[in-house]
Amino acid sequence: MKNNLIWICLLMSTMLFAQEKFSVSGTIKDSKNGETLLGATVYLKGTTNGAVTNEYGFYSITAPKGTYTLVVSFLGYENVTKEITLELDQTVNFEIKEASTSLETVVIEAEESERVSIRKPQMSVSKLNAATIKQMPVVLGEVDVIKSIQMLPGVTNGGEGTAGFNVRGGAADQNLVLLDEAIIYNTSHFFGFFSVFNADAIKDIKLYKGDIPAKFGGRISSVLDVRQKDGNSKNLEVNGGVGLISSRLAVEGPMFNKKGSFLVAGRTSYAHLFMPLIQEIKDDKISFYDLNLKTNYEINENNRIYLSGYFGRDIFDISKFIKNRYGNATANLRWNHVFNEKLFSNLSLIYSKYDYRIVLDFIKLDWVSDIKNFNLKYDLRYYANDKIKLDFGVSGITYDFNPGEVKPSDPSSSINFRKLDQKRAFEAAAYISAEHELTDKLTAQYGVRFSTFSRLGGQELSDYANDLPVVYNDEIGIYEEGEEIGTTNYKKSESIETFSNFEPRLGLSYQLNDKSSVKASYTRSVQYVHLLSNTVSVTPLDVWAPSGRYIKPQKSNQYAVGYYRNFNDKKYSLEVETYYKNVDNRIDYIDGSDLIGTNTIETEILNGEARAYGLEILFRKNKGKFTGWFAYTLSKSEQRALGGNAGGPGINRGNWYNTPFDRTHDISVTGSYDFNDKWKFSANFVYQTGRPVTYPNGQYEYEGLSIASFDQRNANRLPAYHRLDISAIYTPSKNKNRRWQSEWVFGLYNAYARRNAASISFTQDFDSGVNEARRLSIFGSVIPSITYNFKF
Amino acid sequence: MIKYIKLATLLVILITFISCDDKIDVDVPEAAPRLVIEASLDWEKGTTGNNQTIKLSTSTPYFETTLNTSVIGATVSVRNNNSNVVYNFTDQNDGNYTIDNFVPVFNNSYTLTVLHEGETYTATETLMAVSPIMNPTQSLEGGFDDEVLDVTIFFDDPADEENFYMIRVKEEGDLLAYLETQSDEFTNGNVQEEFFEEERDDEDETAEYNPGDVVNIKLYGISQRYYNYISLLIEQYDSGGDPFAVTPAEIRGNCINQTNEANYAFGYFRVTEFDQIDYTFQ
Repeated sequence: MKNNLIWICLLMSTMLFAQEKFSVSGTIKDSKNGETLLGATVYLKGTTNGAVTNEYGFYSITAPKGTYTLVVSFLGYENVTKEITLELDQTVNFEIKEASTSLETVVIEAEESERVSIRKPQMSVSKLNAATIKQMPVVLGEVDVIKSIQMLPGVTNGGEGTAGFNVRGGAADQNLVLLDEAIIYNTSHFFGFFSVFNADAIKDIKLYKGDIPAKFGGRISSVLDVRQKDGNSKNLEVNGGVGLISSRLAVEGPMFNKKGSFLVAGRTSYAHLFMPLIQEIKDDKISFYDLNLKTNYEINENNRIYLSGYFGRDIFDISKFIKNRYGNATANLRWNHVFNEKLFSNLSLIYSKYDYRIVLDFIKLDWVSDIKNFNLKYDLRYYANDKIKLDFGVSGITYDFNPGEVKPSDPSSSINFRKLDQKRAFEAAAYISAEHELTDKLTAQYGVRFSTFSRLGGQELSDYANDLPVVYNDEIGIYEEGEEIGTTNYKKSESIETFSNFEPRLGLSYQLNDKSSVKASYTRSVQYVHLLSNTVSVTPLDVWAPSGRYIKPQKSNQYAVGYYRNFNDKKYSLEVETYYKNVDNRIDYIDGSDLIGTNTIETEILNGEARAYGLEILFRKNKGKFTGWFAYTLSKSEQRALGGNAGGPGINRGNWYNTPFDRTHDISVTGSYDFNDKWKFSANFVYQTGRPVTYPNGQYEYEGLSIASFDQRNANRLPAYHRLDISAIYTPSKNKNRRWQSEWVFGLYNAYARRNAASISFTQDFDSGVNEARRLSIFGSVIPSITYNFKF
Repeated sequence: MIKYIKLATLLVILITFISCDDKIDVDVPEAAPRLVIEASLDWEKGTTGNNQTIKLSTSTPYFETTLNTSVIGATVSVRNNNSNVVYNFTDQNDGNYTIDNFVPVFNNSYTLTVLHEGETYTATETLMAVSPIMNPTQSLEGGFDDEVLDVTIFFDDPADEENFYMIRVKEEGDLLAYLETQSDEFTNGNVQEEFFEEERDDEDETAEYNPGDVVNIKLYGISQRYYNYISLLIEQYDSGGDPFAVTPAEIRGNCINQTNEANYAFGYFRVTEFDQIDYTFQ
């Protein structure tokens, strides 16, 4: 009854007193280095009108005519207030100061947006800033973005030395990884050991595990949005570090008379410099490096341009017999334009490329593959009024796939030149999405993305009898290549196949009280490109393939509900989420599929489906000397592929089976303790159910060898994976009152020397002929590390 | 060719890691025994091919070491589908079934019939020819390691057809042989070369090939279907479940149980021509 009255009053007030409204907008920056701040809260004191700054530090608030106190609050920074008289639209920019400016107390409190945001409808999102990532203990002292997100609930990977990560039981290729909006196809160096992101060049990362905003598309599991720093626009600043594996140096500073700034960050491993000294490996070269660049220029208050780039490489030369190079390259030119107090826009032109090359001298083979894309996108945000904010935009991506080119590496080679078909495609999308405050307590985020994908011509495709690239051989009970009956040649101007999809997105948040809320979301998303990988781990050799005549786009529906609560004045927070998702057209590989160097991938696959569900709990302590979190995930991830038109029961006899990313239990604990001005300690603990694998169920003799027989896929599991890492950060006391700031980071990875199985292989001993199981552990012992970081 | 790319990638990855490998005890599932038909009618170049043996056995649990698995009392015959001549094999009561008057004919189709415990198994295969092995060459430089001996064989690949090969290499005194397959996918019409090298072992000097070692190399011409079968079998045998291997699967040969489809047999019925050499390292 009382509630109804309030409702009526509210309605009346908005209808009857529809006053004139005005907007205040601007940019929030850090006063020390001029970095724009994402996620700062700006609000009008005593009202519910407020906004959170976007990726470019921009905010806009609309309120009825009047006099207000404008408050900017961002944890770790001092609050700033300003009196404003709202009788016309106006711009108010802020530069806010860090609460404490010394290095040793970078982040005592988790930032506002890392904590539970009670009110916003956005759920299933985690934000980490560079400082949080940097304080986690890591292997060999290499700060690692990809490893840090694996400490969050619902995020796992295949273990040490496997590339990529898995979100909510999804495959690695279902993650959209963006570095300053450019797609990164391979996220790791050294086959998964280190991530390609140099923490010195990164401002923050955001991971959407579900409830993906309509402005993102093209991948169905998650979006990892990594933003590079803009560069210090006030002073020249140098950051660097020397570690066991690599050294880093980042230089940033003002440009164009402080109208702009730049950042140049480089990182390189240097073990190869010492390799010539050791006789046995003097001809080997194993190294990686990466280079991050960013510069921006403020043309005027309403126009700013950004240019950013990334270039990374891995190099493996092993005694003249293997030469291996691979890496990503990206570039992005952006133009921020503020039309007026209510309308913000960003136009981006983005290029990204991933290439892989291997030269095998012993068989005189030279193999190259790559994927390239250009992306033009225009995103706008319209702060319609105090209740509604609109995001809308368009995007176009061209893809060039070069799945492989084989050539002889010298004239005496018996290899014939051969190039697999180049593939081309174009993906376009338009979206609109609203964040709508329906009532004081109920906020909705709803939108739709419309995407289309055209596989373009300029190549031949095989035609198969009955249009079946894979057929079931009833007699033997296996899937085989279909009978090729000819080829169709598609002209360059032709489109081989076009797909269009509506992808609705919906999120609701209902605030129970000022401490807690419940949220629900539904996301439909479509993925048009697929990483072809039939191995447990993603390898750099895996190639991407577009949807087309035979490969259908993957479509996912994800439903999630969650409960969020802050305790003790936001000292603690709790997030509980549960989700269910299903994926149509998930590619599955027939037994014995061979993907490398195959032009006709369609003869190796069936279109299957996948489903995953789980419960995630994240409990955080956000303030005080001790900060950290406890994350627990209970989940299931399965797939199946029925025979369909190809006939037969399907892969694995048509039964559902565990995906390699299924982990029943996943516990991650991370904590950091500020002991005193000099010492700070951190620790991680991880426990995961073992990865699903297929063990032999028998043996028989054939050709004099003991051959293992197998049955259901992934029906067994490796032993559980667990590991403890600890680190200590020492800040010398002489740091005080001087420009040169330094710290030492000591680490122990795998502190109790657990031999986690990366794999268990079943082999026949060559001398005795006896079968045995062998465990391969990537780390069989404690891995100590020491790193020296500096800043001036 | 492609297997080398995979192998090289795996090798690079392992070199990168500070990995360690140890033997452990694992509980594995146990399936009921299944009939294994090793029916390899291999015709050596320059011989009549009259003497042939077919082996029948059963599968056992994976870690079982007492292997008394011979199947006796079965009826085994092979029919030439072009000439309709039927060859009946004789049970030697040790799992071997033999014949001494088999007549191999190139490109003829043969059907195997096995009668065992009231169930009939059949398989059909065509006899494939093979080019002879030419001039084996010994060197240090070939192969992966420039400091150990290797031997390379050469053979002609016919340009007008797709060809598939299996190579079996066994050193005198070794218990087990190495199997490899080769297709002319990337090398059609060229002289094929294939090298063999044994990995160096710092603790065992005899592990690598040394002067005086004798290796037997057999080159078989095989059908595409057998190539698919044996390649997968070799891949699963070699990788045994490493993280860069394909998910292992049941490998189905061509022997079909006509009585009870689900109770299929392991193994394969192949009909091939082969050439062999014994090479002594200098």
